[in-house]
Amino acid sequence: MLDQLLSHLRDVAPDRAEIDVLQPADPFLETAGEALRRRIFLTESVEGQIHCLRPEFTIPICLHHLTQAGDANTPKRYAYGGTVFRQAREGAAEFLQTGLEDLGNGDLIAADSACLRDLVSALALAGIASPKIDLGDQNLFEVVVENLQLPVAIAQRLMRGFGSPQLIEDQIDRLTRGETDQTEEDAATSLARSGDRAALIDHIEQRMAQSNIAPQSGRSPAAIADRMIEKIQESQFRLSDTDAGILRAFLAIQSPLQQATEALEQFAKRTGIEFGAAGKAFQQRVTALQHVGVGLDMITYKASFGRGLEYYTGLLFEARVGATSIAGGGRYDRLCSLLGSKLPIPAVGFSISLDRLEDVR
Amino acid sequence: MSLIIAVPSKGRLKEDTIDLFSRAGLDIEAPADARSYQSRIAGRSDIEIAFLSASEIARELSTGGVHLGVTGEDLARETIRNTDSVVDILLPLGFGHADVVVAVPEAWIDVATMADLDDVAADYRARYGRRLRVATKYWQLTQHWFGQHGIGVYRIVESLGATEGAPAAGSADAIVDITSTGSTIRANNLKILDDGVILKSQANLISSKPARWNAENRSSADAILSKLSKCC
Repeated sequence: MLDQLLSHLRDVAPDRAEIDVLQPADPFLETAGEALRRRIFLTESVEGQIHCLRPEFTIPICLHHLTQAGDANTPKRYAYGGTVFRQAREGAAEFLQTGLEDLGNGDLIAADSACLRDLVSALALAGIASPKIDLGDQNLFEVVVENLQLPVAIAQRLMRGFGSPQLIEDQIDRLTRGETDQTEEDAATSLARSGDRAALIDHIEQRMAQSNIAPQSGRSPAAIADRMIEKIQESQFRLSDTDAGILRAFLAIQSPLQQATEALEQFAKRTGIEFGAAGKAFQQRVTALQHVGVGLDMITYKASFGRGLEYYTGLLFEARVGATSIAGGGRYDRLCSLLGSKLPIPAVGFSISLDRLEDVR
Repeated sequence: MSLIIAVPSKGRLKEDTIDLFSRAGLDIEAPADARSYQSRIAGRSDIEIAFLSASEIARELSTGGVHLGVTGEDLARETIRNTDSVVDILLPLGFGHADVVVAVPEAWIDVATMADLDDVAADYRARYGRRLRVATKYWQLTQHWFGQHGIGVYRIVESLGATEGAPAAGSADAIVDITSTGSTIRANNLKILDDGVILKSQANLISSKPARWNAENRSSADAILSKLSKCC
């Protein structure tokens, strides 16, 4: 099954990247965070370098693209397949994956729709003719959050929670109750309250000097002062019931993709929020999907569908059979930058879990 | 098989353990040979005492090498995966108090809670070109606690000693460490987050589930537990 799917994917994504089973662990831990450490297999070389068994293909392929594929701006499509390794509480630790990464293509709409087209055709080849696909778009949520003109840190916290309904609901709940942590009143808080940034920076510099902490190592006095002032302003902020209602109404939108634009327009009319460029791109993507022959009836737009990882941007999707997720993917334009690319590299891709496919076939 | 009890082999923990056992009428004999790490309780041929380091005790409990052990809950929870399914933490013994805490530089006046730390960690890399670094020897407790607070993007820097000096030395931004009074933390110009107490730890009598139990050593263990529980 792997060979069959991989050779199919190579027809549409002919660029090759040989990905070793043993990978340097640092890029994974740097991008996905320390939380990943519990889920991967780590090992140390005699020189003390930490390696891991590849837990996925996307990051190694991006690294290959950035370092070995020549000009990283030249669009490339890589197909991949093989075993990935993840720690699981019980059951297997080796999983078969195949998929595709589309890197460097500046025509986002075309790349997005081609990616979904290739996923659907691969699944069809595997005997899954009509998967259910959930589709989300982070950019639309960003527009809604921006429109509410929230304090920056609160907006960022909401964005980080995207894809986790519980986290977002907790935030909304706390913000509407206007529950704030009681900051003890001291010299620093009154300086922050008065908005005297320069004096506050001085104050922090002195405290750092007393603590023997070098101001250039890590957080600067200015950054601490700015966040302190923000925090004081935020502590007076309360989310209005209207705005809470807007957030909840948006996240509740769920509609067959064919009617999604209509649902978004209705939401826009009710709330006065214009989706602008993000809305237009969403609509264009729907049209493009139709053009490349993806059956829209298998796709459901879910406004709340997303992932909290910081490198995802825009489109996200997951293919299911019943309740079993068999494939997933999306756009991650920030990943290559996180991995050290000076230029932003547009990126979209998907991975299919062959073990889950076997389970549902 | 007689009942094997692991007891700390050095320091305050050793003294406090021997004191407590003796108050309970259980006199741990000095090893016959000063270089030996095995001993007995006076008049109890059914019990063997093994002197081990506190972290080794946690490991032996997890593999079933000893039946009972005296060690800190912090070490048990750090060393033993799925702690509660492998050991029973039977009895807090009233000594060896230490809290495992999250602390940040005192100059971080804007950071008082884990939520603040989450905000700071979130854009740390965008601002400073690297992740927020946390120095600790408590990998498991740190990962679990930070995970519970939704913080994923940070790096742990292993620290094998003087963790509280790491921020001043520039090798980490924040720490997770043990403290009994907080004075070492304050002396290093750090502060404990308001909701940054991961675990209030003390020495505990802990029993091992995978150890080889039979009716005889089970009843010895019950007797020990009941004697000790009257004294602490």
